[in-house]
Amino acid sequence: MAEIPAGPAQDTQDPEKGGLKSDRVSGLVLLALAGLIAWLNREFPLGTLADPGPGYVPLLLAVGLGVIGLLVALLGGRSEALRDIRWTEARRAAVILVACVALTFALERIGYRLSVFAFLVFFLGVVERKKPLAVVLVATGFSLASFHVVAILLGVPLPRGPWGF
Amino acid sequence: MKTRYLLSVLMLGCGVAQAQDVFPSRSITMIVPFPPGGVADTTGRPTAAALEKVLKQPVAITNRPGAGGAVGNAAVANAKPDGYTVLMALSSISVIPEADKLFNRKPAYTLDQLAPVALISADPMILVVHPSLPVKTVKEVIALARKQPGELSFSSSGVYGALHMPMEMFLHAAKLKMRHVPTTGGGPAITQLLGGHVTMTAGGPAAITPHVKAGKLRTIVTWGAERHPNYKEVPTFKEQGMDIVYYIWAGMFVPVATPEPVVKVLRDAVRQAVNDADFKSQMAKVNSPVNYLDAPDFAKYVDADAKRLAAVVKVVGKVGN
Amino acid sequence: MLETFNSLMMGFAVAFDPKVFMYAIAGCIIGTLVGMMPGLGPLAGISLLLPATFGLDPIIAIVLLAGVYYGAMYGGSTTSILMRIPGEAASVMTCVDGYAMTQNGRAGPALAIAAIGSFFAGTVGVIGLMLMAPTLASFALRFGPPEYTALLLMGLFVLAYMSGGSMLKTLAMAFFGLLLGMIGIDVMSGYTRFSFGMVELGDGIGIVPVAVGLFGISEILITAGQAEPPKVQRPKLRELIPSREEFRLSVGPILRGSLLGFAIGIIPGSAHVISSFVSYGVERRLSKHPERFGKGAIEGVAGPESANNSAATGAFVPMLALGIPTGPVTAVMIAAIMVHGILPGPMLIEQQPELFWGFVASMYVGNLVLLILNLPMVGLFVNLLRIPYAYLYPCILAFCILGCYSVSNSVTDVWIMLAMGAIGYGLRKFGFDLAPVALGLVLGPMLELSLRQSLAMSGGTYMIFLERPIAVTMFGLALLLLALALKPVLFRSKDWRSEVGLDEKVD
Repeated sequence: MAEIPAGPAQDTQDPEKGGLKSDRVSGLVLLALAGLIAWLNREFPLGTLADPGPGYVPLLLAVGLGVIGLLVALLGGRSEALRDIRWTEARRAAVILVACVALTFALERIGYRLSVFAFLVFFLGVVERKKPLAVVLVATGFSLASFHVVAILLGVPLPRGPWGF
Repeated sequence: MKTRYLLSVLMLGCGVAQAQDVFPSRSITMIVPFPPGGVADTTGRPTAAALEKVLKQPVAITNRPGAGGAVGNAAVANAKPDGYTVLMALSSISVIPEADKLFNRKPAYTLDQLAPVALISADPMILVVHPSLPVKTVKEVIALARKQPGELSFSSSGVYGALHMPMEMFLHAAKLKMRHVPTTGGGPAITQLLGGHVTMTAGGPAAITPHVKAGKLRTIVTWGAERHPNYKEVPTFKEQGMDIVYYIWAGMFVPVATPEPVVKVLRDAVRQAVNDADFKSQMAKVNSPVNYLDAPDFAKYVDADAKRLAAVVKVVGKVGN
Repeated sequence: MLETFNSLMMGFAVAFDPKVFMYAIAGCIIGTLVGMMPGLGPLAGISLLLPATFGLDPIIAIVLLAGVYYGAMYGGSTTSILMRIPGEAASVMTCVDGYAMTQNGRAGPALAIAAIGSFFAGTVGVIGLMLMAPTLASFALRFGPPEYTALLLMGLFVLAYMSGGSMLKTLAMAFFGLLLGMIGIDVMSGYTRFSFGMVELGDGIGIVPVAVGLFGISEILITAGQAEPPKVQRPKLRELIPSREEFRLSVGPILRGSLLGFAIGIIPGSAHVISSFVSYGVERRLSKHPERFGKGAIEGVAGPESANNSAATGAFVPMLALGIPTGPVTAVMIAAIMVHGILPGPMLIEQQPELFWGFVASMYVGNLVLLILNLPMVGLFVNLLRIPYAYLYPCILAFCILGCYSVSNSVTDVWIMLAMGAIGYGLRKFGFDLAPVALGLVLGPMLELSLRQSLAMSGGTYMIFLERPIAVTMFGLALLLLALALKPVLFRSKDWRSEVGLDEKVD
């Protein structure tokens, strides 16, 4: 399998060259998230140190996240530049996510077997452009076989569509 | 396999005709709002099996756990009212909307969205203490709690949960204060008591029996209206001069708009099902004595219970405020 | 001793009864298959199978479920190693180095070591269970909320050793995970926090959909769209077997992981999930080459896998000896016995010796069956990687969605999984490690609850943490751990990772 960009970025460039740094962005996003959580948290009583209420620990954690986010942003001068992050796979990733959302949405409306069949036909036929015969075989086989194992052998009541299928 | 699909295709064609058939003409789903293995589940499964025999249609259990039963209860409250979706609920069904009210939450469902069909079982709670606590009767518990105000503690299955409510009833009636240590369920609540981290808890007979027999817990008093058949020596609160009663019960509900004839079929079916020999022996094994009530009586029972519990929730108020 | 031996012989007589034996094998096979479904782990496996056991004899029921439990854990490791899809919280650490090994073409050794480590750890666990169950169980009961708080705090400090990246980013992810754990009904007060009016979020968000999303889905999002399709691995036969060097490196982690896991496993509560995280941290701290961790270090598979398995066995100690659930899995097991009219409790071993010893013996058998079953299967599993990725990933996605849906018959978990997949994708693009999120999510609710329970017990005074000997000892250990992590920072203003060349910022 291909090499996956993971772990910290190698700082091959000089600090502050190459424009906005990725850590500056992610740090600020975390800070904003912490702010949002702290704001949402205001409806819960804080209690006291001796008797912490439901809002106590979340506020503590939100403050922690905010501080760390800020530090990540401040100390992130040597991280990878934002524009150096390559988003080559982003388009495909978006397609995959949208298809998954569609499948999840369809699951309880048109039933498991039909929606999974359509999902696989879409991926194998439209996205990956496989031979129609293979597409139909895999999609039919997978949807029926997985339904049989999970719904009938394991007894999970998988959703059936309005046509009972 | 193929015939099954063919059959379902065929059934698709005659779906319209079948709608006019007598209820039930296809399988019924019983929603259990707790995970497999809980009281609702171990009551629901034998009930479903017995109902199958009577109705001659499959009755399939679907566990829809979440939020202390709120998810499953809400699912049935908003289900199509055709009798094909029924609910096996526990007594918490009336507490959840009350707690929602208390916190100004949009309730997941309200009790009047559901129509009671039958009460299946009811278990009285029993007060148990750690054997190191030098008390044997309620009077001694009260005396000790007065002597050390706020020092005794009890564990529960969570705030407003099935073990918290009876304790608050007791504390309110006896005007006592105790420390409350909520946990994540009935099992952990008893574990805390066994370890001596709290001094008492309310427990169902099935959960406490092995520990009482082994001398690890001591029974004090029961919330039952009368003495429990397996615990003849344990007095009731009523005998001790306190008018408090609390049961954990399991009962069947349907969405409120379910047509009367359909409910009638279900009621009759449950009446026959509870007399089924297999059903009885299965319920005896899980230590949940069958306590059958038909819809009208069950409705009154739920009403009274809901009122009692609503009052307790109001007394307790928001914890930590 | 002799008595124990005689009882064990009786247990083996029960376990080798052809009918019981068949069910033990069936349980292992079903469990392995269920565990290999993405999103379905041991808990989901035994919950799904529980109703089917109601009609069986109690011994058979519990033997079958134990087999499913073990099998599902093994199956979960397989998907973690091959596809980076954890079936439960405990496999999260296996995903990190196991999957890295797969990418290096060492999937076979990773699977083999996981199987051998699990077998060894399972055996250690069973021996511990057999010899010391009653003694250990009453000791375990002394773990109340204060001791639990200390234990979880120790788990949190493991973070310092968990990730090879920047310490700040690791902490940021841990806080993110801890905050995710705040979602849902607050057990102490009844408030529903951060659920945005969704009832389904009442119980909080589960670790399984989060882990599957963060690790599995994000991996597919990153891999599927690459310009050239990922190389198909063609494992050769000799690459299926761990090398001598890999064996040598795995011995220590397996031994330590087994003991550590068992010790954590016997404590009532759900803390045993942290055993695999702790083991990973320990191995990394002890390793002479911590920089290899995260890039396919076999110790990072051997330790956590062993810890996970012996913790699972350890969890049976309080269940069998005292009849108290140590977590969701044992709660289901107790239900399986209870529906047969047997009340698990302190008297179980005396009153139902056949059940107890039959169970113990069948755990030996189950472990052995799994080893025999799975070692030859390694070759087969590895061949899954031969399926062209274009066919593989849509099916994995469908499996993930199916698995998450099946756990509580609700699409909410699926939405969580997909959202986490997207978040995980973004975080990885920005160079964040994801394992701390999983650890935070697991620890968050437990740590908060036990802290507040302790204060409820003591009436609001923190002295409770200092008055209890076990708690004090554990806090001492936790502080020692923290000091060890901080020492280089304090005295030489250098992180420990720079000593070993881990911090890529200070060369």
